[in-house]
Amino acid sequence: MTIVRAQKTPDRTPPLSETSILGWMQKNLFSSFFNSILTIITLYIVYITVSGIYIWGIADATFVAENRRECYNNSLTGACWAGVIDWFDNIFYGRYPREEIWRVNFGGLLLVLWMAPLWISKVKGKIFIGISVILFYPFLAGYLFSGGEKGLFMQVMVSGAIIAFIANMLNVLTSRIKGQSLSKFLISLFRQSNASDKSQRNLILGVLVISFAAVFFWQTGWSLEGVVWTKWGGMFLTLVISGVGIAASMPLGVFLALGRQSKLPVVKVLSTSFIEVFRSVPLITVLFMATTMFPLFMPEGFVLNKLVQVILAIILFNACYMAENVRAGLQAIPKGQSEGAHTIGLSYWGTMGLIIMPQALKHMIPNIVGNFIGLLKNTTLVSIIGLFDILGMLRSISKDAPWIGLHKEPLIFGAIIFFIVCFSMSKYSRHLEVKLSAGNKH
Amino acid sequence: MSNVQTKSQLASAISSEVMIEIIEMNKWYGDFHVLKDIDLTVRKGERIVVCGPSGSGKSTLIRCINALEEHQEGTITVDGILLGKNLKNLDHIRAEVGMVFQNFNLFPHLTIRENLTLGPIWVRKMGKVEANEIAMKYLERVKIPEQADKYPGQLSGGQQQRVAIARSLCMSPKIMLFDEPTSALDPEMIKEVLDVMVDLADTGMTMIVVTHEMGFAKTIADEVIFMDEGDIVERNNPDAFFDNPEHERTQQFLSQIL
Repeated sequence: MTIVRAQKTPDRTPPLSETSILGWMQKNLFSSFFNSILTIITLYIVYITVSGIYIWGIADATFVAENRRECYNNSLTGACWAGVIDWFDNIFYGRYPREEIWRVNFGGLLLVLWMAPLWISKVKGKIFIGISVILFYPFLAGYLFSGGEKGLFMQVMVSGAIIAFIANMLNVLTSRIKGQSLSKFLISLFRQSNASDKSQRNLILGVLVISFAAVFFWQTGWSLEGVVWTKWGGMFLTLVISGVGIAASMPLGVFLALGRQSKLPVVKVLSTSFIEVFRSVPLITVLFMATTMFPLFMPEGFVLNKLVQVILAIILFNACYMAENVRAGLQAIPKGQSEGAHTIGLSYWGTMGLIIMPQALKHMIPNIVGNFIGLLKNTTLVSIIGLFDILGMLRSISKDAPWIGLHKEPLIFGAIIFFIVCFSMSKYSRHLEVKLSAGNKH
Repeated sequence: MSNVQTKSQLASAISSEVMIEIIEMNKWYGDFHVLKDIDLTVRKGERIVVCGPSGSGKSTLIRCINALEEHQEGTITVDGILLGKNLKNLDHIRAEVGMVFQNFNLFPHLTIRENLTLGPIWVRKMGKVEANEIAMKYLERVKIPEQADKYPGQLSGGQQQRVAIARSLCMSPKIMLFDEPTSALDPEMIKEVLDVMVDLADTGMTMIVVTHEMGFAKTIADEVIFMDEGDIVERNNPDAFFDNPEHERTQQFLSQIL
């Protein structure tokens, strides 16, 4: 007998225990007597925690009050959110002049609009968008936030930023509507599609120069009121410090990592010792050093403001951790990749930039995002050396006369904000990882 | 070395121009003496197969020729340029010498087309259109133009190795080095890669091939070199080499693999 079954067996539905909720509960929650007891105890603990939080935080809480006394009069067992709500603007913007707050919001909005095309499909030239953000946005934002008289350099950079931003927006439109990048669209608009590379380049250059001149002339007509950095504070300051820290420590970290792997002994020893020294010192020490000792090494009369000192310290500190992340990513790339690149004649920098880094970056993403989250939270340490970041602001609520002694609610509110920001970052990194590894399977 | 035979008359395709000249070359890995007093001259159009047991230094020898490995003593001259510590020469020589690896070493994050055009665009400074034409020409030559927009990971081993060969050819090299190109392949894919290599040999390319494919060696080689423990033990034309090996170690090796 050789044929075991001549007819094809039809598919049958799975038993109820595999598909119904009851079946699932029976299998996972109440599979034995002991497990059932554990389930019930755990559910009870969850219940008292959640209901406790609900009663204190929402049901019995006071949202509208003039001061802490009123909160107590309203309810003794509930939270006093009125204090947090009263300080809302302070928590987010510090002592930034109230009538100028739109500048901070506008700066944030610009960044979002500028970066958004990176996530829109079919948009051409995403690399240029990335470069333009890094190159121009810091200056535009810097001027928006601090205002005052524009020096010549600032005027050039602000004009450049405005053109880059407008070009970026137009590029999104042409890519979505016409399916071609802005430069291609301009070339076809002037009927130069068949012209030589050189005359096409000249055309683009000409358009850039003319629009730059126009914007430059336009921006000489206005300026913003100056806001001293000491008035910056709250979430805004936290984001400025950590944002600049992240953006600047990334490239510095890449160079440190490459330096550590270098064949040149001097470069190698310098990078390695720099990394090891900064990694073995707590951040708070580095911050104190930066604000108290750094000025001692500076020439007489040279005063760097405290914010710049703090940001420099954070950049150096974080770059070392970034360097170690980058090194781990580089080591995950097989040696054959750089050999393959060498055999087609690519130089060291060509090999790194085109072959090794793009692949290593994918391995680094989880670590880098973890590092960013750490940095964002570490930034709160600057409240110890006298900057009023979000933590500094939250803590000064308890020293404000109407809300004296109000500690719990502001800190919980801060925790919620940090959780939202950090959790979404880590979720996004997970998503990015999946997306990138789907793009090219090994 | 008495047992190295130098052939005086070679096939007509070979010109008298010297492509590679290695004189008294020595290499160590730490204390380990990998290559011992290597003398080797390869002329333009010559096709040489290098064989020998593993650890005999045959891969190291060809990796020295395109400076992936550094030699400590002696001289290597490739296409008239002396290999040495001068870094400027290095990228130039590597662009002239194509190399195909056992593990393909394609770039997994780039499509096949991008793998092929990378060198022409970034090293030869060609325009995109021109580089693309060259890439398609060589993809057709290795008979997989339809795979141009896939990623290396989506191709079979044999196809990946053919892409690797095409990638080297896009740089229009003067010499091609093959480091056990079929050793990592499933048996049914070896032939498609060898066919491409035979085609290439027919075009008069200077080739040095490290391989254990003796049938291939018989078909295309002008000379076969046998290496053992860092020495070039025997060098002969394929007929004489296979039918009539002179050295005892060669005989032993051949009896094991044939």
